[in-house]
Amino acid sequence: MRDTFSTYHPLITFTYYFAVILFSMLFMHPVFLAISFLCGLVYSVRLKGVKALKVNLTLLLALIIFSAIFNSLFSHYGITPLFTLPGGNKFTLESFIYGLVSGTMLASVIQWFSCYHKTMTSDKFIYLFGRVIPALSLIFSMVLRFVPRYKAQIKVIADGQRCLGRDMKSGNIFQKARNGLNILSILTTWALENAIETADSMRSRGYGLRGRTAFSIYRFDNRDRLFVIILAFLIIAVLTGAALGQNNILYNPAVVMNKITPFSYLVYAHYAVLCLMPVFIDLLMSLKWRGLKKVGTGYSLIDYFKRGELWAAKN
Amino acid sequence: MGGEKLALSKRTRAAALLILLFIPLTIALGAYYYRVSPYQLSGRIVYLISAAVIVQSMIPFLLIFEKRKPQARELVVLSVLTALAVAGRIAFFWLPQIKPVGAIVIITGVCFGGEAGFIVGVMTAFVSNFYFGQGLFTPFQMFSFGILGFLAGVLFKKGRLAKKKLPLCIYGALSTMFIYGALVDISTVMSTLGEITWQGILGIYLAGIPFNLLHAAGTVLFLYLLADPLIEKLDRIKIKYGLLEP
Repeated sequence: MRDTFSTYHPLITFTYYFAVILFSMLFMHPVFLAISFLCGLVYSVRLKGVKALKVNLTLLLALIIFSAIFNSLFSHYGITPLFTLPGGNKFTLESFIYGLVSGTMLASVIQWFSCYHKTMTSDKFIYLFGRVIPALSLIFSMVLRFVPRYKAQIKVIADGQRCLGRDMKSGNIFQKARNGLNILSILTTWALENAIETADSMRSRGYGLRGRTAFSIYRFDNRDRLFVIILAFLIIAVLTGAALGQNNILYNPAVVMNKITPFSYLVYAHYAVLCLMPVFIDLLMSLKWRGLKKVGTGYSLIDYFKRGELWAAKN
Repeated sequence: MGGEKLALSKRTRAAALLILLFIPLTIALGAYYYRVSPYQLSGRIVYLISAAVIVQSMIPFLLIFEKRKPQARELVVLSVLTALAVAGRIAFFWLPQIKPVGAIVIITGVCFGGEAGFIVGVMTAFVSNFYFGQGLFTPFQMFSFGILGFLAGVLFKKGRLAKKKLPLCIYGALSTMFIYGALVDISTVMSTLGEITWQGILGIYLAGIPFNLLHAAGTVLFLYLLADPLIEKLDRIKIKYGLLEP
């Protein structure tokens, strides 16, 4: 099934990721980082299927460990030296912990960007910025169209050249390379000539004239309004928590953090809900859909993520 | 390009406004937060602020481009060059760092002027990251490729750069190594280092040298291969259709 959050208005998608990525980057408290990382992991599994779990965990864990080692090799602050490095500097616990923390930060930002990549597709981006920067948005969308088009045209040209015995499969390696470059040269000439034709066709259809409108399929409805209200509430709650020092932590000279009080748990809960919003919305829709269909009895979270995987495989 | 002088003065004005007003404001805001926030945030804040400054410094160029309402022909030709660069980056994904993007951006700057080079550089970095993955490093890459193309155009106009293989290769090597490499490594420094120290920065820049050397070598290789044929094709289309000329 299609991810429900992806069907929201592009403005909402963009704002949501902006807030979550900014928070993930700025909050260096381990609890906040863990929440952001785990929620990002859940959502990326929902978007990309269970195989995302394997990729994210291996690559991102490697990144976190690398960051911890790198940081402790180059920074030597802290009051708990573990051992002395060959250069005479101390390898300290604080520096190592801080490396772990900043590695986790980097990993969760990467993870959120990969979710952004899946949901905030290029057409939404063009819709959002088409009014502000029309010429650049047009270039953007044309480039996205041209890339697959050139791939197809290369095949046409290569087929034509093969009939002349000049394709990538004939002759020795130098002839092959020369034939390959020749195909690219033909492609470039064709692309430039074709561009002029496209431009003339755009002109004759009135590109740039006053009063032309652009087609879009997005509409800001009540569902989006509700989302904005909840999002604003959660962001304010998290920011209040941050302003009251709930995410204050020191790594230098020693690791010192605020006492965890019931209020802290409240702030953590709000942050977790904020980071899980797309998954909640999607689960809710999925349950609703199942209620409407009235089929099957056993339905678990595992089934839910498997369906996400099926959808990811199809697309 | 219609009224190069006018465009230049407009850009200067917009740039001056941004440089005098918004960029110092951003930096002041960053400095304030840098001071009041716990120390471990400092690296993040510097990163965010520098990304914001980079984005702001691109705005005058992009606004001038939007403001003069470019013709369809110009837009499509710039799209074609961007698409070729993006396709080139995708086609050579299996060779680390060796990409034709820099070469195509530089040739565009030389043939169609600094503004066109800037737009193609910025758009190539931006669009190709939709294939390779976006991040906070995107603005750095966009700006660096943009500046590569812009400088190539300006230097050609001033007569310091010729439309020949050798000067282009030299410019390509130096600019990718020292402008692109130095700028993009800033983002690596700030994303990798928790606390910014001189040893850390030195470590990252030293670790980056092989990559930057490879990138520069790739640009030189592609300039050597592409410069003559691509310049010939672009000049041909310029003369044939009277493109992008005053």
